[in-house]
Amino acid sequence: MRTLDYLLDPVLGPLYWPGVLAGLAIAVLCGALSGLVVVKRLAFIGQGISHAAFGGIGLAAILGLTARLTADGLADAPLGGVPQFLVVASFCLASGLLVGVLADRGATREDTAIGIVLVASMALGAILLSWAGTGLAWESFLFGTLYNVPLGEAVVAMLMAPALLAVLWAIRRPLVFWAFDEPVAATLGVRTGTMKMTLLVLLALATVVAMRLAGVVLATAMLVLPGAVALRLSSRMWAVLGVSVGVGLLGVLAGVVLSFELDLAPGPAIVAVLATLFAGVRLLGPRQDRG
Amino acid sequence: MPPAPPSSQTCAPDIEYRSVSFAYNGSERRPVLENVSLTVRHGERLGILGPNGGGKSTLLKLTLGLLRGHTGTILVGGVDPVEAQRRRLMGYVPQRVEAELAFPISVRQVVSLAAAIGVPAWRRDGADSRARAEECLRLVGADEFAQRPVGRLSGGQLQRVLIARAIACRPRVLLLDEPTVGIDVVGQKQFAELLGRLGAELDLTIVVVSHDIRTVVAGCDRIACLSRTLHFHAAPEGLTPAVLAEVFRHDVAAIYGDVHVDAHAASQCTDPSHRHARPGRGDAK
Repeated sequence: MRTLDYLLDPVLGPLYWPGVLAGLAIAVLCGALSGLVVVKRLAFIGQGISHAAFGGIGLAAILGLTARLTADGLADAPLGGVPQFLVVASFCLASGLLVGVLADRGATREDTAIGIVLVASMALGAILLSWAGTGLAWESFLFGTLYNVPLGEAVVAMLMAPALLAVLWAIRRPLVFWAFDEPVAATLGVRTGTMKMTLLVLLALATVVAMRLAGVVLATAMLVLPGAVALRLSSRMWAVLGVSVGVGLLGVLAGVVLSFELDLAPGPAIVAVLATLFAGVRLLGPRQDRG
Repeated sequence: MPPAPPSSQTCAPDIEYRSVSFAYNGSERRPVLENVSLTVRHGERLGILGPNGGGKSTLLKLTLGLLRGHTGTILVGGVDPVEAQRRRLMGYVPQRVEAELAFPISVRQVVSLAAAIGVPAWRRDGADSRARAEECLRLVGADEFAQRPVGRLSGGQLQRVLIARAIACRPRVLLLDEPTVGIDVVGQKQFAELLGRLGAELDLTIVVVSHDIRTVVAGCDRIACLSRTLHFHAAPEGLTPAVLAEVFRHDVAAIYGDVHVDAHAASQCTDPSHRHARPGRGDAK
């Protein structure tokens, strides 16, 4: 198997492992949120946030925090990519909040607000990237560069996965109540604004990490597909959570193997696996009544 | 379940509206509610009847603290609605379209969530909140389908689940928004019986908002007619076609041909001595 040849190679292996480990962490991060994203119809805002990440990358490039192509070859992002990560995550959060402000009290419809912020961030990112002159093709940010993930960023992703699960566990009761029935949750003292904001923050963080795996364009897939598959297979809350995470992990592993064996880019390979899984459960699975 | 403790000391009203007015977007010229004053005593079952757009859902949302910006005073259990939310004084049964029915959650989980909503994050649900959830499921007759996902219930079943959820956090007041929409006549009768039983067993004050006169007449012992302002409030027996015509601005007798019969029947099947003996009415079935 070429996969094992690459991963166990003493020289090449260490180049690939951070990406694979980051991919697995991303599967947990996105899988855990995926059920909520599907049920609360947040797929579009996830898409908006991931596209906003492109603007964040432009900002990080201007600040000299991204990887760049020099005369000596590729220079990694400074400090293991952590400052870049923070800039992009903050930019995504700010965009999420901007959508919230624009759509507040129905001044602009939320989908319109997301659409506007999405394209504005993309345009800003493209402009800033060309000004910054990193020498890197901006397509690499659009479609992901899993096997260039610096070790620092892989570690951040792996620490974030348990942190996100811990947050979800800590707010499980108000979060689930809010997700199921917002007005009634409010009448029982659940801070619905805080719940929405928390979910938005978690989504932004998961998206920024997922972007490394599948790129800006495909990050949404990691947030939507595992939950969509799980909701077709189960109608038990905790089972849906577990199955989403499992489907995410399966997608990443299978996608990585495919990418090595067939010499494909890993991001699209992972998304293709997940989409095929969804098609499979949609056609053959037990549920016919939703999503 | 143990009988509700006697509450003879609670003479203070459970809900109090003093000169409440409200207009959406602050437009003073077109108020939805105007100068509404009403007191709901403890243990009472009040029906708020009115036409569509008459402001009854608005009044309910103001009471629940879901809508703000009214003038005048609204007190629930002696405190303002936001504080009442925090103290979980109110159980709310919304019109059922508002819940996210695609959510993968079972009937038992829905009710348990409400029973355990105040439990700190680091603790498990605990025996008392689990017992409370089971008791509420049994009270509304939802225990036999407690395992089922909420998305796969009939309208009547779902409504009972939403009622179980509303009483699971031990509220003082139960507020129901259009509870009988889409429910047939038999279902409505059962619903009225359920309300009576809950009010008595749990020592609850109940407010039902509806445009359907049968619902409020059968299930309540006092009726307030609301169309921007209060037109009438008294026991159901006093509800005459003339009053209804004033509230609905139509000849209601023509629409609800059997209104009077219904009102009469309701007054007969609800013995007045029961309705006025408070607390601990003995008409639980």
